[in-house]
Amino acid sequence: MTDPGGDIREILLTREQIDDRVGELATAIARDYADRSPLLVSVLKGAVYFLTDLTRRLAIPVEIDFMAITTYGSARAQSGVVRLIKDLDVEITGRHVLLVEDIIDTGLTAGYLLRLLQARSPASLQICTLLDRPYRRILDTLEIAYRGFEIPDRFVVGYGLDYREQYRHLPFIGVLRDEILSDAVAHPRAPER
Amino acid sequence: MKGSRENGAAPVRFAHGSEAEFARILDFYGIRWEYEPRSFPLRWDGRGRVTESFNPDFYLPDLNLYIELTTLKQSLVTRKNRKIRRLRELYPDVHFKIFYGRDYRQLLLKYGLRPAGVPTHAEGPASR
Repeated sequence: MTDPGGDIREILLTREQIDDRVGELATAIARDYADRSPLLVSVLKGAVYFLTDLTRRLAIPVEIDFMAITTYGSARAQSGVVRLIKDLDVEITGRHVLLVEDIIDTGLTAGYLLRLLQARSPASLQICTLLDRPYRRILDTLEIAYRGFEIPDRFVVGYGLDYREQYRHLPFIGVLRDEILSDAVAHPRAPER
Repeated sequence: MKGSRENGAAPVRFAHGSEAEFARILDFYGIRWEYEPRSFPLRWDGRGRVTESFNPDFYLPDLNLYIELTTLKQSLVTRKNRKIRRLRELYPDVHFKIFYGRDYRQLLLKYGLRPAGVPTHAEGPASR
C-alpha cells in the first residue's frame, strides 16, 4: 500500500527494512529469553503492529498482554496525571516482562510504565522499542535492551504510529509533510501512541 | 502565568506559557521539577562581580538534569546559544538540555496539541 492521500513526504523505513529488523530483534529476544517464557507487555495502540509481527517471528513460547494509559493531550482537560485506562489481565509478579514500545522519544511514557510495572515485582523487566528518537530524551537513564532503529528528529507515522489517529495502517514508516503538521489545531482527543 | 508545584508549595509564576505547559507535562508523568532554582554565573568584572549569568528554566532533581526552553526568535536564540556554550565550558559536570522551539513544537504535536505563540519552523542550530 502506498500513501493514498499524498501526505507522506518521505518513506523513512520500508516494509522490507522493518520486516528484516523485526526478525533480528525476535532472534535476539528468543536467544536471551530461552527457557524463560516472557510476558510481552504492550501499550495500546501504537505498538500493536510491532508486537504482532514480533511475536510471530519469536521461536520461543511467549504470552502477551496490553495496557492503555491516557496521554497528556487527551487527558489535559480532565486530569493532571496519567490514568490507567486498561490494566494488565495477568499478574506479573515473578514473571520475566518485556515492555514492547513503538517509539521512545522523551522517555516520559516509558519511564512511567517502568515505574508502574516495577512496583509489581517482576522477575525481570526490560524494554524493546521499534524506534528510538533520542534527540528530546529527558529520561536519559532509560535502558533500552532491544532497539529496532534510531531515527532522526522527524515526526513519523505508519506501522502503528499515528497523527491524530490517522496513518497507523501504512505498512512503512514515513515522515509526514510539514503542511499537515502546520495545520495542527488544539484537539481534545489526542492520539494514543 | 501561574502553575502548580509539587508538595503543596506556592504556585509558580512562569515567565512564558510554554514553561507552564512543560511543567504540566512533567507533572502529568510524575516527574518532580523546580522552576529556575539556580543561577549560573558566566562572566565577572575585574572586581569579581557577576556581569552575566544563566538561569535554566527547570531542574529535575530525580534526574539531576537542567532544562532550558527556548521558543524565541532566531536573533535571541543565537545570543542564548552563546550563553549555553559558556555554561558548558564553565560547568562541564552539570547535566543540561535545551529544548528549542522546534523541539517544543514537536513535543506538543506528539500530544496532538498546537503550541501557542511558537513560531512554526525550526529555531535550533543549523547543525542539528
